[in-house]
Amino acid sequence: MSPDSLAVTGLGAVTGYCDPVPFLRVRKQRKFMGVQDDLAVVAAGRAIESAGLPRALGQRAGLYMAVGYIPFERIDMDELLKGSVDERGAFSMARFSTVGYESVNPLLTFRCLSNMPAYHVSANFDVQGPYVVTYPGAGQFYLALEEACAALKAGTIDVALVAGVAHQKNFLVQHHFARLDPPADRIEDAAACLVLERAPDRPARAHLRELAIAYEPHNPFEETTAPRETGADPAMGPASLAVALCGAKGTLRHELVARDGIRASSTWELA
Amino acid sequence: MRRRVAITGMGVVSPLGNSVDALRDALLAGRSGVGPITVFDPASLPTRIAAEVKWDGPILRDRKITFALEAARQAMEAAGRPRGEGGLSLGIGLELFSMDDLVAMQRPGFAMPPSRRERLGFLQTPSDLCVHMIARRHDLTRPPLTHVSACAAGTDAIGHALRLVASGRRDWMLAGGADSMINPFGVGGFCRIGATSTANDEPSRASRPFDRGRTGFVLGEGAAMLVLEPLETATNVLAEIAGYGNSFDAHGISEPHPEGRGAWQAMARALADAGLTPADVDCINAHGTSTTKNDPVETLAIKRLLGDRAKRVPVCATKSMIGHLISAAGAVEAVAAVACMRAGRVHPTINLDQPDPACDLDYVPHVARDHEQRVVLSNSFGFGGQNASIVLKHA
Repeated sequence: MSPDSLAVTGLGAVTGYCDPVPFLRVRKQRKFMGVQDDLAVVAAGRAIESAGLPRALGQRAGLYMAVGYIPFERIDMDELLKGSVDERGAFSMARFSTVGYESVNPLLTFRCLSNMPAYHVSANFDVQGPYVVTYPGAGQFYLALEEACAALKAGTIDVALVAGVAHQKNFLVQHHFARLDPPADRIEDAAACLVLERAPDRPARAHLRELAIAYEPHNPFEETTAPRETGADPAMGPASLAVALCGAKGTLRHELVARDGIRASSTWELA
Repeated sequence: MRRRVAITGMGVVSPLGNSVDALRDALLAGRSGVGPITVFDPASLPTRIAAEVKWDGPILRDRKITFALEAARQAMEAAGRPRGEGGLSLGIGLELFSMDDLVAMQRPGFAMPPSRRERLGFLQTPSDLCVHMIARRHDLTRPPLTHVSACAAGTDAIGHALRLVASGRRDWMLAGGADSMINPFGVGGFCRIGATSTANDEPSRASRPFDRGRTGFVLGEGAAMLVLEPLETATNVLAEIAGYGNSFDAHGISEPHPEGRGAWQAMARALADAGLTPADVDCINAHGTSTTKNDPVETLAIKRLLGDRAKRVPVCATKSMIGHLISAAGAVEAVAAVACMRAGRVHPTINLDQPDPACDLDYVPHVARDHEQRVVLSNSFGFGGQNASIVLKHA
């Protein structure tokens, strides 16, 4: 793909704790939001602001998002377990079906689902256009980016939000990384978003000069490789490239060998 | 230059049979695949019914991965080996905790299983592993996509694959969806938010899209996969997939836009993508969940799309017979739509005894109907306001 007519007009990133309230259109939605939703809304909000776009993007804007592994906190698990084991400490369906499942906060469903960061971005910035929501690694961010470029070039949309979101410091995601060989030695909560436009009349913050994506299938039950990235920090999961772009100057060359077999590279020129 | 795209192979594992022919025949006969939950003991959960896959073969730890592998096998066998390099686009349900594993982790002295295979399957099996297993088994050498747009994921996976093949970015694609949430955590979670029907005494009558007495959806499980190739070079053309559109409601987290704006946008975009107009639509395979919120809003959106023709175009709800397969729903319903279109029939919406006054279209109640179809729209609308539609054309 030759993406050189596309311009990055906005960039936004966030790592660790963040407060999404300044970006919420409807504040009562706050109760439905988990950490991954907070991260996504703040990154998108900062990117949209930095592009100088209005907060309501409408039908000609699309969202292309890669979301990290489904998050679950230990405290929520413990609450569930308390009401789900018998006197011998074994799982009891009788207990679960009367006590355990009711101990789960019903809002938990909303706070952990992988499509919810996309929902919150769409609802708070009125994104009504097409979307791609992929899962769960940095390689999938590249596939979302590829589709955003294609939609812009086809004229389907005028503005693409391309985002990576990863809530990783929680029980379930840490468990997932711990059981891999080799395990991830460091993971972070992070999100970042690019605003991509086709020949905008606003100044460009960066240009995407080259994009390549390949794949080498393997059996994940028999073989895993540690992810390798140059130009970005793999601890950021699917947000790694976008986070790197937010702090880059000059030319950023990013190369990725992902755990899932995706090999990708891109070159960006920053204004 | 946009290429036209053909469906050249289909495979399915469903509550009404584990082949395309078995599913089609059961749907046209108006059979329900819903019954009491047997894959685990639901004890006193408010919902104790589901549409389970009847599966005698070996099962991996994760049912949805087992189903996906079988559906992919069938689709590839039907299509033969397409020319060039293939890719995979899969909508897949999320990993859910095994409660037994979770309890085991709390015990003193607990250690993770020693082998990688057991470790990866312990507690939950990450969904993305499924795409790599399929890619490896079928030598798919282009990067695989994992879609997680909830109930729209299966349709999004197929639509995205259409775009990749039509634009020439991929030679061919294997696309579809797989899901199974019929386990304690999945069923308990849906019970907790009051989404599923509790009509436990009459399982086969519990899923009743567009009916006044509907009380929620019935959970189903399964998988479907389709092989998409350029029409120009395809040799086993089952149907053409002509268009795809998706949209956000950008509205409520659990309720659709009250005017069905997002649903209408998805359908209108799919038709525009196909170069067709609403006047071309011969049938709609509805999302039709049997929930109080979806069915009237989908009806509104269809009326807005079809205008004066709305009451003359058959609208059928596959979920009335197989329940809601969540991330697999759109893929299984696409297979159902193609199979019925090829048979020149529309399958019924069963259990539609007393239509909701707000649902006043022709939903093909109870009995299948002979109806030649050139163009069928298939809808999937997800929790969180993600809407997807595809346009299927008779070959």
